[in-house]
Amino acid sequence: MKKFTHLLKKELRELVTKQLVISLLFTMALFYFIGNITKQEARKAAGSQKISVLDLDKSDLSRSLLGALAAAHFESVPVAAADSAAAVEACRKGATNVLLVIPAGFGASVAGLDPLKIETYAYLRNFSIMGVRRSEIVKAVLGAMNEYLSNNVIKERLPDIDPAALKNPIKTRDFVLIRDRMAEGTASSITGIVMSQGLLIPVILMMMIIYSSQMVISAIAMEKQDKTLETLLTVPVSRTAIVAAKMLAAGIVGLLSAGIYMLGYKSFMSGMTGDMQAGAAGQSVAAKLGLTLSGNGVIVLGISLFLAILCALALATILGVLAEDFRSAQNLIMPVVLLVMIPYFLTMFTDIHSLSPPVKILLLAIPFSHSFLAVQNMFLGNTQAVLFGMLYMLAFFLVLVFLAGKIFSSDKVLTMKLSWKKKKKLNF
Amino acid sequence: MGIVLKVEHLKKRYGQLEAVKDVSFEVNEGEVFALIGPNGAGKTTTLRVVATLLTPSDGTVTLGGFDLKHHPEKFRERISYLPEEAGAYRNFKARRYLEFMARFYADTAEKEREFLQRAESICGLGARLDDKVGTYSKGMVRKLLLARALMTRPALTILDEPTSGLDVINSLEVREIIKRYAREGISVLLSSHNMLEIEYLSDRVALIDKGLILDSGTPAGLKEKYHAENLEVVFRSALR
Repeated sequence: MKKFTHLLKKELRELVTKQLVISLLFTMALFYFIGNITKQEARKAAGSQKISVLDLDKSDLSRSLLGALAAAHFESVPVAAADSAAAVEACRKGATNVLLVIPAGFGASVAGLDPLKIETYAYLRNFSIMGVRRSEIVKAVLGAMNEYLSNNVIKERLPDIDPAALKNPIKTRDFVLIRDRMAEGTASSITGIVMSQGLLIPVILMMMIIYSSQMVISAIAMEKQDKTLETLLTVPVSRTAIVAAKMLAAGIVGLLSAGIYMLGYKSFMSGMTGDMQAGAAGQSVAAKLGLTLSGNGVIVLGISLFLAILCALALATILGVLAEDFRSAQNLIMPVVLLVMIPYFLTMFTDIHSLSPPVKILLLAIPFSHSFLAVQNMFLGNTQAVLFGMLYMLAFFLVLVFLAGKIFSSDKVLTMKLSWKKKKKLNF
Repeated sequence: MGIVLKVEHLKKRYGQLEAVKDVSFEVNEGEVFALIGPNGAGKTTTLRVVATLLTPSDGTVTLGGFDLKHHPEKFRERISYLPEEAGAYRNFKARRYLEFMARFYADTAEKEREFLQRAESICGLGARLDDKVGTYSKGMVRKLLLARALMTRPALTILDEPTSGLDVINSLEVREIIKRYAREGISVLLSSHNMLEIEYLSDRVALIDKGLILDSGTPAGLKEKYHAENLEVVFRSALR
């Protein structure tokens, strides 16, 4: 145990370099910075929106319309122009992104139930998510105006009828069912919660697997490149301890790195999706449907993630033996990346039950798939599937560790290599 | 003088290729035993087998009564191996590297200190021991590695081309270190292309070619047997 701890410290010392610490801190700061900016932009978008208005009508109705817009959190900025062309030019470099032109005679035309057309101009100043979202303001403005006008007309013509009851005569009570659980609410109200829990965990897992695997492969490749492996293999310590120390060190550093990355990533994502999160009502519906992780659920999920990482580390150890040097180690990470990306995207964008049997078998043969599916399965109460996945990953890990141990205890640790270069003559 | 290492009919195959066909020799206590031969003769493979890096295809290798196939861990406790192209961890300070290696062999802190003091004395790197290995020249790295190999005073030190790639001055210094420690009773198994080096360092040599031992004996005895002035001529005559 003393020798193992000694080896582990050495591996950690080699992995935790100044470059790694600086890179992690920089990435975290970058995520935090971008997240904060995005959050501010989202808040601006969710707050009162400024729109430019050229009111050529100046009737009571047009003034009332602008009042209705103010009630719907739109701030009208009057434009001093003689016609719409001049107004478009005036707003071109302005601070607002939407121009509304109410034509002369609009009030009278509405009274005659043949309204003149209101012109809207949307300035697309960039194609970022926030920039494109601003163009949606036009729709919202028109919606608010139509709502106001139609309500007014109904009140005038049918004073005893509630305009809302007339426009939406069908009332619904919405229920959501998940297996044997049911709760009152709409499916869309819980989407935010499920997305936030279901999206973040696979991203953490993907990053952890790739990061830790990269470290193990590189650690073994560097030992080969720096010609230190042969010496290490002749010191009085078991080969299993050498392999285990490398795997554990990469796991620890991978876990810490992923944790640091995720802090930054969470800050970034909260900025991106903060306004899309479900409210308290959605939380309540999700809880009734069992779409929140209990204490035991978190433990099971943690074990599932841990097993996936162990599988990745064991696989990376074997791949690391194939590496000749640090450069070839960069190529050898590709199989791990593919084995992570395939289940990551398939589980995110498709329903596994709708896949054809060969694809489904292939997907389930990849150990990481079971961790990606674990959250969904736990939400859906498929405990057996989660447990099967965990057992499969454990078996996969044990087989890989057995293979890695065999390789490290044999000549293969020195003779096995995957080279893209022309074969060189062996020197005895 | 007891036998430290005994190699009997050692064979090593890589698939169809027979790198070592039949090699037998013994290394006695306090003796420097050298394998000399051209590239591809099987020197490094033999040394790697004794160092527990490769498993023998056939034959037996025993060290201090322990059989290599069954007790490789006992071998590792008793040997120290310096490969031809060895390196040290570049991000480590040299002193930290020696500490790291010493801890595998030392049972107590006192023993560890003893190993480190010996290593400092062997390598003669002084204050440079507090610098990172990455800043070292090839000669300095070799001295550091030689110090690492000798500091524990193992039952058998295996040195593969110990002066390979070094300049004249560094080669001389490394040879002096090996000679000094050999005089103090350390057993050494050595391989080299450099016949002068072998003649200077070795008590006995074995001539190896194409995986077979052609002949063995003391340098003086072999020179007399083949009526040769030096080991190069001995080797050429033995090949005929």
